[in-house]
Amino acid sequence: MSRVIEATRTVSRRPDFTGRAFVPLALFFLLALAFPFLPLGARAEYLLQIAFFTVVAGVLALSWDILARSGQVSLAHAAFYGLGAYGFALLSKAVPWFLAMPLAALIAGLVSLILGAVTMRLSGMYFAIATLAFTEVVRTVIQNLPESVAGGANGLLVPALLGGNARAQYFLALAVLLLTALVSLAVRFTRLHHAFAAIRQGEETARVLGVSIVRYKLLAFFISSFLAALGGVLFAGKTFFINPLETFSLANSIAPLTTSIFGGLYTTLGPILGATVLRVAEEILHNYIKNGYLVVYGLVLMLSILWLPRGLMGLFRKGKRGGEL
Amino acid sequence: MKKMLLTGVLLALSSAGAVKVGVLLPLSGASSVSGQAARNGYLLALDEINKAGGVLGKPLELEFADDGSSPAKAVPEFVKLVTVDRVDFMAGGVSSATSIAISGPAKQYNTFMAWIGAAAVPVEDAFADHRYFFHYHPWSYYNFEAILGYFNTLKTQKKARNIAIAYEDGPFGSAGIGDTVAAFKKAGFNVVMTEKFKTGSGNFGPLISKAKAARPDIFYWVGYDTDALPLATEIKQQNLQVGLVYGTPPSWPVGFEKNQLADNIAGLSLWLPSSPQAESRKFVAAYRKKFGNVTEEYFAPLAYVNLKTLAAAINQAGGTDKDKVAAALAGTNTPTPFGPLTFSKSNKTQYQGFKAGNWLHFQFQGEGRVPVYPIKFAQKPMVWNK
Repeated sequence: MSRVIEATRTVSRRPDFTGRAFVPLALFFLLALAFPFLPLGARAEYLLQIAFFTVVAGVLALSWDILARSGQVSLAHAAFYGLGAYGFALLSKAVPWFLAMPLAALIAGLVSLILGAVTMRLSGMYFAIATLAFTEVVRTVIQNLPESVAGGANGLLVPALLGGNARAQYFLALAVLLLTALVSLAVRFTRLHHAFAAIRQGEETARVLGVSIVRYKLLAFFISSFLAALGGVLFAGKTFFINPLETFSLANSIAPLTTSIFGGLYTTLGPILGATVLRVAEEILHNYIKNGYLVVYGLVLMLSILWLPRGLMGLFRKGKRGGEL
Repeated sequence: MKKMLLTGVLLALSSAGAVKVGVLLPLSGASSVSGQAARNGYLLALDEINKAGGVLGKPLELEFADDGSSPAKAVPEFVKLVTVDRVDFMAGGVSSATSIAISGPAKQYNTFMAWIGAAAVPVEDAFADHRYFFHYHPWSYYNFEAILGYFNTLKTQKKARNIAIAYEDGPFGSAGIGDTVAAFKKAGFNVVMTEKFKTGSGNFGPLISKAKAARPDIFYWVGYDTDALPLATEIKQQNLQVGLVYGTPPSWPVGFEKNQLADNIAGLSLWLPSSPQAESRKFVAAYRKKFGNVTEEYFAPLAYVNLKTLAAAINQAGGTDKDKVAAALAGTNTPTPFGPLTFSKSNKTQYQGFKAGNWLHFQFQGEGRVPVYPIKFAQKPMVWNK
């Protein structure tokens, strides 16, 4: 109890732990909640589809960022995302979707503990390579399961989430994003923040400060992979089909990383904002520059990272610490 | 000023009420080579259709959308075509994953789909209960049926009994490999080697050594274009004595036919520019006239056939009523660059166009792909190296 009080005191002294800091995030969710009811005319259905995939991208980016806060720059996000998708596809044959969804995420979370334990002593590039190899291992295992179980290399059909109702699927995705944001805030404003930051800045120092490296690193892995797997469930239940090559592709590990960097690392709003801006920018470029829009998109991304080293959140920061939500 | 205004009004009037076809293609991403080829095929068909009076007396309109070879992009693009652009019919479709992803909205909006690609069996499952799904490309099981038919001919004519199989370890090579081996065995072949490889690794030394020891009559490999040259080099270097090397990559390396190592390697295609059918020659001439070159990608003529037959069905139906157009399209019986096109049931879908009999087997001979089987389309005899 005293620990909690101490943590609360520490947190309450921080300049950004004020109601005002939550305003942008609350506004985002209010807008997102109202989005399907906006008078968007003929474009409403189309924009709702874009919004769904934007929200999923936000879930992935923010879940990746939570792990990165503990200094673990992972390239295994595709593995957990894929485990969520496959777990859901297989479990939903036996249990209702609302059970299959958390169970699939739980499986991914438990598997992540294995990876976390194995890579405990690795850092930097070695850690990244190990996580990349882990994704390949998971992909190979899934692909070599009997075709009658996981579809083999052909892939398998997935039951539609919520009967394929686009609006209901969007609200479910938004609920998952809200959960991810709440978890992120919980990490940000509890002792976990200090523990993760200490580990990120130097494990030796963290150890001297009494931080249990093993416990916190594994916890970061579990939280991050659980949430990433929920993203995988949303994707699979939306697109009705998964196969090992695309589900476990490197792109699914890289996208959350670039999105988080673009939005602002170690923040809650940053990765969500990053996902929104990138997806909307991509769609606008796609509609107006039919050929070569990806070149323009890439250039915009590169320039943004060069000019905004702290991401989009850097634009809102006042001074050194303000607005680090 | 008055003239400009009048022209504007006339143009607006001429396109008012025009039939709109949405075309969803992978114009970027992994499948973009096929997607871009298909786009050219659609543009060529559009020219010809509109020169011949259009559809229902108006110029036909096409609305292209890029699915980026990704399900996450395909779904919004599909919904945009249907709800924002309000297309009357949908065409296109190359990748299986994107096609399955849009099966939900397609059923939700009861969209008429004249689909050219997406050969994987799960696509067939996804659209099994869709009333307006016309599939032009053969399903993947027809591909193997065609290969088995050809190999059976080699068994009879060349006494080919032993098959060595090399397949890449990704989805393309590995999918259904167990069924493939079982089917060869059931057909009376000895599968003397089944070896997987990592595509793009370039190291085929151990694999070819093993094949050499197995003494196959046919060396059958399933991989990508990047594997073709290293594999051919290793076969030459180790002097693998085999009747036929047969490969089924989705596309062959650019300029492969000009390399001597390609000599006598055989493969499968739905169409070749040298295909002897009259419709194929007409297509090649028209394509060359419009684009100044000749394509080897069969998605170009496939898209061309797709739009021409859809337009003909709408004209025959006399309107855009989906049931009437479906009935007209189902009754299609027309010569195409691939041979005659009719629609009949597949394992699970109602309207399947091309089947196993439409595949051509070719051999690289003298800097080109020469059809060698079926015999009626063969332009030169097949070279058997044993």
